[in-house]
Amino acid sequence: MKGSTLGGYILRRLWQTVPVILGVVVVNFLLLQLAPGDLATVLAGEAGGASPEFIEAMRERFGQDQPVYIQLLYYMGNLLTLDLGYSFRQSAPVLDLLLERLGPTLLLMGATLVLSLSLGILMGLLSALWVRTWKDHVISIAAIIFYATPLFWVGLMLVLVFSIKLDWFPTSGMEDVVAFYEGWDRVVDIAHHLVLPTITLSLFYLALYARLMRASMLEQRGLDYVTTARAKGLTNSQITRRHVFRNALLPVVTMAGIQTGALLGGSVVVEAVFAWPGLGQLAYQSLFARDYNLLLGIFFLSACLVVLVNLLVDIIYVMLDPRIRIG
Amino acid sequence: MKPNRFHLAVYAGLMAAALSTPAIAQNRGGTLVQITQPEPPNLASYISTAGPIAQVTSKIFDGLLEYDFSLAPKPSVAESWTVSEDGKTITFKLRQDVKFHDGQPLTSADVQFTVMEVLKKVHPRGIATYKDVVSVDTPDAHTVVFNLANPAPYLMMALSSAESPILPKHIYGEGDIKTHPNANQPIGSGPFKFTDWRKGELVRLDRNDDYWQEGKPYLDRIVVRFIADSSTRTAALEKGEAHVAGQGAVPYNDVKKLAALDSITVTTRGYEMISPMVELMMNTQKPPFDNQKVRQAINYAIDRQFVIDNVWFGFGKAAKGPISSNFESNGLFAAGKDYSVPDRIDIANKLLDEAGFPKGPDGFRFEITHDITPYGEEWQRFGEAVQQDLAKIGVKATLRYEDLPTWLKRVYTDYDFDLTSNFLFNLADPVIGVHRGIHSDRIKPGTVFVNGSRWSSPETDALMNEAAVATDVFKRRDLYKQLVEKVSEASPIAYVLELNYPTVISSEFEDVVVSPLGIYGNFASAYKK
Repeated sequence: MKGSTLGGYILRRLWQTVPVILGVVVVNFLLLQLAPGDLATVLAGEAGGASPEFIEAMRERFGQDQPVYIQLLYYMGNLLTLDLGYSFRQSAPVLDLLLERLGPTLLLMGATLVLSLSLGILMGLLSALWVRTWKDHVISIAAIIFYATPLFWVGLMLVLVFSIKLDWFPTSGMEDVVAFYEGWDRVVDIAHHLVLPTITLSLFYLALYARLMRASMLEQRGLDYVTTARAKGLTNSQITRRHVFRNALLPVVTMAGIQTGALLGGSVVVEAVFAWPGLGQLAYQSLFARDYNLLLGIFFLSACLVVLVNLLVDIIYVMLDPRIRIG
Repeated sequence: MKPNRFHLAVYAGLMAAALSTPAIAQNRGGTLVQITQPEPPNLASYISTAGPIAQVTSKIFDGLLEYDFSLAPKPSVAESWTVSEDGKTITFKLRQDVKFHDGQPLTSADVQFTVMEVLKKVHPRGIATYKDVVSVDTPDAHTVVFNLANPAPYLMMALSSAESPILPKHIYGEGDIKTHPNANQPIGSGPFKFTDWRKGELVRLDRNDDYWQEGKPYLDRIVVRFIADSSTRTAALEKGEAHVAGQGAVPYNDVKKLAALDSITVTTRGYEMISPMVELMMNTQKPPFDNQKVRQAINYAIDRQFVIDNVWFGFGKAAKGPISSNFESNGLFAAGKDYSVPDRIDIANKLLDEAGFPKGPDGFRFEITHDITPYGEEWQRFGEAVQQDLAKIGVKATLRYEDLPTWLKRVYTDYDFDLTSNFLFNLADPVIGVHRGIHSDRIKPGTVFVNGSRWSSPETDALMNEAAVATDVFKRRDLYKQLVEKVSEASPIAYVLELNYPTVISSEFEDVVVSPLGIYGNFASAYKK
C-alpha cells in the first residue's frame, strides 16, 4: 500500500472500530432487556424488603418507567460523550467504578500474558526441538493436563498446598490488609499476592500456546525455505533462530490476541477464588444484581480492550514478518 | 419472671451504672479483619437495609440505643428514656459528649433530622417502623421527644445503629439524600471512622480517638474484606488472614472443621435480634394449596430434624410457628400446632385423602414445582430433602433454581409458583418481622419479602393490629398466642426451622460478639489478647 504510514494506519483502524463498539453496546443493551427482574426489585430484595412506593420511586429514578427505545437512545447519547451513567446500586458513577477495577485487572492479565506466552513459547520450542524424545512427551503430557484441568480447582489446590500447608503465599487478596505496606514494600507485597492467581490463570493458556508453538515449529521446519537455508550452509540453530522461530510465532500471536477476550472471562473465576478486585468479579456481581448501567460499561470497556489488543497484534505481525504490509 | 415496662426501666438504670464503672484493662491496638459476604453495594445504611451494609456501618454510626441478650434496650447515645402513660410520647435524654467524626457535636437536631427527614422517608423498613411518629420535638440540644399517633412499643426495638443510624444533619442535610456524596464515605459518631473503600477488596475503618465511651474502642483498626469464593473464605480464616466471619459467610460443614482448630472459636449467639427462619411458602390462591388440608399435609410431611442435621449441619432448631423462640426472653414467643408428631406421615396421607387427592396408579396424588431460594447450595439440598419427604405422601415435586431477581419477580410480583422455600428474618420485634409475612395489608405485588402466600384473615389482621399498639407485654403475649395458633392451623407457610447462624472468631480476639446484634454490633469492646 503506498502512502500508508503506521500512524495513519492506527488512526484508520481505530476509526473503523467505533461502529463495531457501538453495535456491541446496542446488542448488549437489547439482550439485557430479556432477563427477568430489574434493579429496583433486586435492591429491595437485598434490603430485605421495601414498600411499593419505595420501589416505584426507585424505578422512576433509574429511568425504568420509560420505554426501552427511549432508554437506549438516552444511553447512546450519553455514551458519545463518554458518560457511562450512574450505578444506583453502588451509589457511584460507572466510569469511576470501572477505572478503580481496571488496574488490578490489567495487572493480572498482563502478568498472565507474559507468563503464559513466554513459558508456553519456550515449552513449545523445546518440545519441537526434542521432538519424539521422552522430553517432548513429558512436556506434551504436562500441557494436556494443564489444558484439561478446571481453573477453580487449580486455584483451590494451589491455595491448599502453597498457602495453608507450606505457608509460602497468602490465600487471597491483593495486599496485606493488616500491614498496609507503602512504597517498595507495597510493590513486593502485591507481587507476592500476584503469584498464585497468575499461575492459576496462566496454566490453561500456557498449555495452549505450547501446543500451538510445537505444531507451528514442526510445520515450518518442513517448508522449502528451510531446505534452502540448509543448502546455503546455515547451521540448525541459525535456521531455528533466524527463520523458523519468527515464522512459527505468528499463529501464537494471533491466538494470544483472540484469547485476550477470553482471558477476561476466565478471570471471573480466578478473581473469585483469590478475591482479586478486578473487572471480572464486578461483571459477575452486576449481572446478578441487574445493574445494567454498570454491566454495559464493563462490556464497553472490554470491547475497547479487545480492539486495542487486536490492533497491537497486527502491529507485532508487521514487526515479525515485514512481508505483511499495513493497509 | 417475664419483663414488663417497669422491669425494663429498672434494668436500663442498672446497665447505665454498669457502663460508668471503669473497664478491666484490655490490650490496646491490633487490626481485626472481618469477612463480609457479599460485598455491600454501598455504605448508605439509611437507604438500604441490606445485611452486608449494616455489618460495616454499625461500626461507623451510633444508634440511640443498644440491646442486651434478653432483647432489653440499653443506653447508648441516649443515656435515658421515658415512655408516657398512654405510650404516645417517648422522651430521650442524649449524652452531652458525643461528637461526629468531623468534630461537630451530636445534638437533638441530628436525631430529629435522621428520623423525620431520612428514616421515615427513605429507609425501606423505617417507612413502616416510624409510620406512627408524627413529629420529633427538640426542647433543648440534648432532649428528643417522639410524638406518636398510636403507641408503638416495637419502636424501642428499632433504635440500634444497624437499624437506625444517627446521621449528622450538617452533612447529610445538604443535597439529595438518595444520591448523597457521603453514601460511600459515611460520617458518624461510632467507635470507628471510615478511611477507605477499595471496591471489590476491602473497607478500612480506623479507630475514633474521640469516641464517647472512655478508653474504647480497643482496636486500632477494622478491615472488612470481601472474598467471593467460600472455600477461600474458609482458607483465609484457617490461616489467620481473617479473624471474624458470620451470617452464613462460612459454609456450615467448614464451620465444624474450623471449630476443631485451637486458633478458632465458634458461637451461635448474636442473632437474637435477627432470628432467621427457614420456611416453605405455599401459594394459597391456587390449587392445590388453596386447600387447608393439603397445606397441613405438607407441613406434616417435612422431617425437620433431618433437615437440621443434614442440610444445616446441626445449626438450627425446629420452628414451632411464625414467631422465633428467641422472643421467649421478652415474653412474645408462642408455640403453634406441633407438626413434628411421630405418626405425621400417616396423618398427612389421611389429610390428602380427605382433601380429595387420592393416589394415582403411579403412586402420586399430584405434581407441583418447588422454587428454591437462590441463596446458595444448602437451599438446593433443602429442596432435595423436601422433595423426598413429599414423595412419601404421594406428592411429586420438581425443583426449579433461578437467579435472585428472577425468583423475586416470580414469587412476589407474578405469584407464579406453587411451593417455594423462603428465608425471612423475625427481626427485633414481631411487628417488624412477622406481620409482613401474614398480614393482608402486606399483600403487595412487586414488593419483596412480604405476604407472598397471599393468605390472610380478618381475624388475624385484627390480632396483629391490636398487638402493634398494645403497650402491655402480657396483653401482647396473649394476642400473639392467639395469632400463632390461628396461623399454624391455617398453615399458609410451613415454618421449618430457626437457623442458628454460626460466627467464626479467631481466638486471638475477645469480646467480639457481645450483643444480640452479633456481627452487626459496633465492636467497641473487642480487643486483641
